Amino acid sequence: MALGLLAPVAQSADVEYGRYLSSECTTCHGASKADSTIPNIHGLGESHIAEVIKAYRTKALPNPVMQTIAARLGDDEIAALAAYFATAKRPK
Amino acid sequence: MTNITRRHFGIMAGASLSTLGLPILSAPALAQGKPRVVIIGGGPGGATAARYIAKESNGAIDVTLIEPLKTFTTCFFSNLYVGGFRDYKSLTHNYDKVRKGDVKVVHSMAASIDRDKKQVVLAGGGKVPYDRLLVAPGIDIRFDSVPGYSEKAAEVMPHAWKPGAQTQLLVRKLNALKDGDQIVMIAPPNPYRCPPGPYERVSMFAHVLKKKGFKKSRIVILDPKPTFSKQAVFSEGWEKHYPGIIEWQDPKIHGGIKGVDAKTGEVKTDFTNYKPALVNVIPAQHAGKIARDAGLTNQTGYCPIDAASMKSTVDPNIFIVGDASIAGEMPKSAFSANSQAKVAAMVIRAELTKSRAFPARYSNTCWSLIAPDDDVKVGASYEPVDGAIKASSTFVSQRNESADLRKQNYKESVDWYKGITADIFG
Ligand SMILES: Cc1cc2nc3c(=O)[nH]c(=O)nc-3n(C[C@H](O)[C@H](O)[C@H](O)COP(=O)(O)OP(=O)(O)OC[C@H]3O[C@@H](n4cnc5c(N)ncnc54)[C@H](O)[C@@H]3O)c2cc1C
Ligand code: HEC
Repeated sequence: MALGLLAPVAQSADVEYGRYLSSECTTCHGASKADSTIPNIHGLGESHIAEVIKAYRTKALPNPVMQTIAARLGDDEIAALAAYFATAKRPK
Repeated sequence: MTNITRRHFGIMAGASLSTLGLPILSAPALAQGKPRVVIIGGGPGGATAARYIAKESNGAIDVTLIEPLKTFTTCFFSNLYVGGFRDYKSLTHNYDKVRKGDVKVVHSMAASIDRDKKQVVLAGGGKVPYDRLLVAPGIDIRFDSVPGYSEKAAEVMPHAWKPGAQTQLLVRKLNALKDGDQIVMIAPPNPYRCPPGPYERVSMFAHVLKKKGFKKSRIVILDPKPTFSKQAVFSEGWEKHYPGIIEWQDPKIHGGIKGVDAKTGEVKTDFTNYKPALVNVIPAQHAGKIARDAGLTNQTGYCPIDAASMKSTVDPNIFIVGDASIAGEMPKSAFSANSQAKVAAMVIRAELTKSRAFPARYSNTCWSLIAPDDDVKVGASYEPVDGAIKASSTFVSQRNESADLRKQNYKESVDWYKGITADIFG
């Protein structure tokens, strides 16, 4: 009982799953430069990444490429991706 | 001298290892301890898989890539070379960084697969044993699918559906045309590599004719299919940029493609005889020979796979990705091959190192350039559903989109090319 009460409210993001899911993103986001139409997403803030992906999912943001990618991502998966990318370095 | 040096080296090596208290193992014994993955084909499918298996297993898996070519020229973006938007060199990549990513690259042709002994036999006779084999040889052209066509005829009437000399021949012939010369393309039947590819190529033909200021040249597409990929936006773009230049004929219009004659340069349909200056024949296709010879294909000529893993349905130690596989609703594209390779790499890593596996996730986007800064796209996410790969969400460019959006698409495609080639080749 006591242990149950002490359990964290939100389950922590599954970074390992995020790393696997990120391989889908790297096809486009792996070689971004400052002027790229496909922005760099490595090392961005965790909450920014999650918010933006959710905005593509609801189509509040316009690009159909990202809308289609976001459409199938659940909240857990978005959290996993955001946690992974927040600390990930761009592949060399 | 040599003797002394060798002995000296031997003693030194032995001494240093025993000083450290480590068991002395020969190199082959060390390698035998690791599970071995062999990959046939260093295109988008094979090279991606090799790099991801090596990277995600942190050196716990011994990865060998077998590919005869020292440099790989991409078919994707080769239409932009045809249209004069890219040079040939910008499409060519080497395997230096694949090698640096802990992958052994063997530049040789795989001659056969001995599935019982679990080994690949190289063209030179060498044998490469595997625990898991990934086969990604792409497609072979079915020359006999167009009467009169052959490998020899392709030297006069290029298909340019495999990269390299064929693409360069097509471009030479295109650039040699004079005003009034005609072009005929024979389009392929489904399923084939890159569904929008023939129609993007025709757009690039028309762009070159227009840029040269030609008034009398025309392009005829003889298609065995009643409809084609992104047809609405291609048709719109052709009317807008090249009015009266491109004529697309479905089987109802041409009545059937009767064949070609490389000697006379003729193309015959049920209703018409053409004698164009440039003939681009894109025949039917099937999986690369190595996959067919190993019994990995079914009656379709392509390899059936398990939708959740890209594992062959005929051999549990073999995976097939890319154009050679039957990937349900996914088109045969470099993007698809790259996406499938990551799923196969994940499953292979999990099986061989007893590590965590994840659900299969696939995706694809194909951009096509119709005219300068007028680029359209189609894409989807895919998942395994009841044993087949099915699209879960999709999109396609619409008619009447703004010029800004189409220009943005073009820039996006150029950035995608940078991203995916870095993902494939490092
Ligand atoms: C004109 C054109 C335009 C295209 N445009 C696009 C596009 O815009 N976007 C897109 O995503 N896709 C595009 N594609 C499709 C894309 O090129 C293919 O889908 C992709 O190359 C498939 O990758 P793969 O790894 O399955 O096969 P391949 O790229 O064919 O690679 C197979 C490799 O295996 C090697 N190989 C074969 N047999 C053996 C053997 N026995 N032993 C060892 N090695 C072997 C070959 O040498 C080759 O390097 C286009 C194709 C064409 C023709
Ligand atoms: C097919 C190419 C492609 C793939 C694959 C892709 N993206 Fe994107 N992404 C884009 C493009 C293009 C944009 C810019 C969209 C725009 O203009 O609004 C973008 C934008 C973004 C942004 C907004 C960045 C910012 O700061 O504004 C985020 C976050 C993002 N993508 C995350 C992802 C994640 C996570 C994945 C993998 C699950 C992914 N993307 C896969 C093409 C892609």
